[in-house]
Amino acid sequence: MLYLHCAFGDPPAPVRKTAAAGRIAIIPQAELDAARLAKAHGLVTGNQLDQEALLQLRQALEGFLDAGGRWFFNGHVVRPLIAELEPYQSMRNPKRPDFEQTRLAAHPIFKGIEIAQLETNHGVAGFYGRGANPMPAGAIAVTGLRNGTVPVDWVWHRPGGGRFFSHAGNDLGQAGREWDLPPILYARIFDWTNGGPCLCV
Amino acid sequence: MRLIALSSGTYYHIESLEAPRYAAYFDQVLTPERLDEVRAENACIFVPCRSPAQRLIAQADQIGQYLAAGGTVVAMGESRSDLWLPGVTFHGRPTNWWWWLEPGADLGNRVTAPGHPLMAGIGKDDITWHLHGHFDTPEGADVLAEDAEGRTLFYIDEVSTPGRMIVTSLDPIYHHGSHFMPATTRFLDRFLPNLRAYLDG
Repeated sequence: MLYLHCAFGDPPAPVRKTAAAGRIAIIPQAELDAARLAKAHGLVTGNQLDQEALLQLRQALEGFLDAGGRWFFNGHVVRPLIAELEPYQSMRNPKRPDFEQTRLAAHPIFKGIEIAQLETNHGVAGFYGRGANPMPAGAIAVTGLRNGTVPVDWVWHRPGGGRFFSHAGNDLGQAGREWDLPPILYARIFDWTNGGPCLCV
Repeated sequence: MRLIALSSGTYYHIESLEAPRYAAYFDQVLTPERLDEVRAENACIFVPCRSPAQRLIAQADQIGQYLAAGGTVVAMGESRSDLWLPGVTFHGRPTNWWWWLEPGADLGNRVTAPGHPLMAGIGKDDITWHLHGHFDTPEGADVLAEDAEGRTLFYIDEVSTPGRMIVTSLDPIYHHGSHFMPATTRFLDRFLPNLRAYLDG
């Protein structure tokens, strides 16, 4: 399972701890190539992903998914990294109530976590997400903004193979810090990416 | 003068540099690794906010040669310009995202050189969102903006090298490209045309 490291400095502590335990490999994005992807069964990318560079590996990414790989994607889609992905759409003129979240499907990543713990940061809403990556046909919305109409989180069992989780915000593993959620969220993100329980059939 | 942005391919770089609102201000968008294609004569390098610093650090020698040849570099915030530009000393600070929750709160940022062409039309409210840190002011540099304690947030240094360094800790490209924080868009609406006029003047 690969954690693609794009940002400057060390990855977050829960990521380093998981790597030290041998569950994931942290690799700089510049070292990712088709051969490395072909050997992987899971991929986690963050919001500083170089989408222009990753687009050059589109065929390898689709091959990775065709083979049953799972990809947890954080951030806004701005390049067609695989065929079915469309550019991020932000909410138009969002107001405070638009940032209230609705749990639209019970995904294991969020089990037992109160929405209120993710919805605000020191009482301020809007950090979690402000829009959505458009869902491919067949994807299942997990978390909605704006009365549940904007799928900030969704998961997709790709017809050609593999699964894709989209979180259209800053890295989900970093959410809920005032509730000490990052270790829990990262553990669950890695569990899912490693083939763990998923709400999709 | 040609304005050349160095994009790291992140969603916020792609959105800010390519979307119609600002795309026309940039003559070319290159990766940091293609910096060797830029000639110092008649060109300005623009390093957008929150560029993964390791990619600029790898080009530090090239940037030094470019400045030695009289080139201009604009280094925006959260890209650790202190690690790849000569003579830059940065003091980071924990970000207070919630300062404005207190009644009557004032972050205290102010434009110190309102008559400078780069700051035309830019007021206190247009440089006020949050702080990531400040710089030691190089001797002979012109300070354009400072924080409440009078520490430098934005300066131009035409003394330390034969070239010109325009350096700030403000990070509007990241937030504008994330569709988050309207003040950052107001800042860029003024700063980018000011920069073009300044470079061409």
